[in-house]
Amino acid sequence: MNATIALGIIAVIVIGTVIFALVSVRWISMSPQDYIVGGRGFGTVFLWVLLAGEIYTSFTFLGAAGWTYTFGAPAFYIMAYGTCGYIFYYFLFPWIWRLGKEHNLLTLPDLIQTRYNSRLLTTLVSIIAVVALIPYVTLQLSALQIFLTVAGHGAIDPVVGAVAAFVLIIAFVFVTGLRGTAWASILKDTLVIGALIFVGIAIPLQFFGSPAALFDQVLRAHPERLVLGALSAPKGSLWYVSTVLLTGLGFFSGPQSIAAIFSAKDENVLRRNAMFLPIYQLVMLLIFFAGFSALLIVPGLKGPAADQSFLAVITRYYPPWVLGFVAGAGALCALVPSTALLLSTASVVSKNIGSDLFGIGREDEGRLRLTRLMVVVMGLLALGLWLAYRTTLVDLLLLTYNGISQFMPAYAFGCYWKRTTTAGVTAGIVVGIVLACTLAAQGIAPFGINAGFVGLVANVIVLVGVSLLLPARTPAPEPAPL
Amino acid sequence: MQRRFRFLLAAIPFGALSVAVPFVNRVEPRILGLPFLLAWIAFWVIVTPIFMWWVGRIEGHW
Repeated sequence: MNATIALGIIAVIVIGTVIFALVSVRWISMSPQDYIVGGRGFGTVFLWVLLAGEIYTSFTFLGAAGWTYTFGAPAFYIMAYGTCGYIFYYFLFPWIWRLGKEHNLLTLPDLIQTRYNSRLLTTLVSIIAVVALIPYVTLQLSALQIFLTVAGHGAIDPVVGAVAAFVLIIAFVFVTGLRGTAWASILKDTLVIGALIFVGIAIPLQFFGSPAALFDQVLRAHPERLVLGALSAPKGSLWYVSTVLLTGLGFFSGPQSIAAIFSAKDENVLRRNAMFLPIYQLVMLLIFFAGFSALLIVPGLKGPAADQSFLAVITRYYPPWVLGFVAGAGALCALVPSTALLLSTASVVSKNIGSDLFGIGREDEGRLRLTRLMVVVMGLLALGLWLAYRTTLVDLLLLTYNGISQFMPAYAFGCYWKRTTTAGVTAGIVVGIVLACTLAAQGIAPFGINAGFVGLVANVIVLVGVSLLLPARTPAPEPAPL
Repeated sequence: MQRRFRFLLAAIPFGALSVAVPFVNRVEPRILGLPFLLAWIAFWVIVTPIFMWWVGRIEGHW
């Protein structure tokens, strides 16, 4: 009975959102241009909604609370890195957008090809971008599975839940497209804010009286959770600094973010969003409150199970319709960003590998079909990763950043340093990726520093070194116009 | 000169949220009940738009 009510509410919310998105986009015919970059006509408010929809995902909703539950203060990085990301990319947005506009670009590898004019580099970037985003899709899938299984009150097997999540995500992408996503985001954000106020304000108030009293109790029970560990401890201070730098500098370097930048109407739309969006990060405070509350109310969740944190509180202490409402908002948090993630990576494969490299689907219709096929393939790969490697949601996102952050030097140096060469960028990315993956796979973190950040530093050193040692014979095709 | 200054302006909140954090890694003094570290991060998130508005102002976008 409880499960029927909770799952029923989730179904109503998801179907309602799909109908809302469909009605909103009905009058627009879908060319690949519309499908991938929303017709390049998003204004400040619409882009805000799209970006917020992409950036505030079930990672924010469940993953951050889960990490607060398990580790405490290291989770604070999640509030800081987005803000650092907006500050940094404020200075790169106009350059990326202008290249996109002038050359009618659709994807991240298009941008790399335009600036560096190298098939090798472009193909390398395409492959890394697609592979790096698989854990991010797995994250959404895993979160959706958590919402479904928790709402099912034990009636749904996790593997069945994950397969159901996969089907839901694919169906949602096919039905809505990127423009539909932006509309769906409006509904999603409204519901999520409601759910956040409940889990981050109502729960702490009801159980502890005030956020201050909540922290008094955390301080008494787990005093070490409210500060970072020693400088070079695992998840200590150096880990915090290197992780904020890695994820902040890589904040907009993924294919889904580049597509979002291209979808802006003009440069100032992007600048204004970079200025205002940090405010949105404040909602993270509520998530931290929810995570710490769950730690005190339902202690003992270990490993990936900690991602259920506040859902466990709701299941135990509130009526099933509350769980249905919160899990429904959460389900949208997984579905809406998945659309942008899957479409942007699928279009990288269909355009930059399929049609540019192998000549498949050069006409719009063929490419659209290939894009759709790749959405399914990416979804299956993400499902495979979920089956093979169960971990926390935050770990999945950090895995993605190890890869996509390595593209940042290609933009930053490409924009601000005229002597940047194609060889330098290529060598930098190769060294960065290999180093980050090797260290991460071996679980090595020198002085507690995040492996991805070590890779990024090596990437920059190699880029600068190679560019200085082997200067380009011909000037770069696109000097930075800033 | 102005070009340098806008980077400096942006670097202030960026640095405060990243490299400065090990130096403010403590619970006391509590601000509005929040541990100091969390209050520090929240404060810099709130004031970042002011810095970025100023940067945009120098660049002449608004």
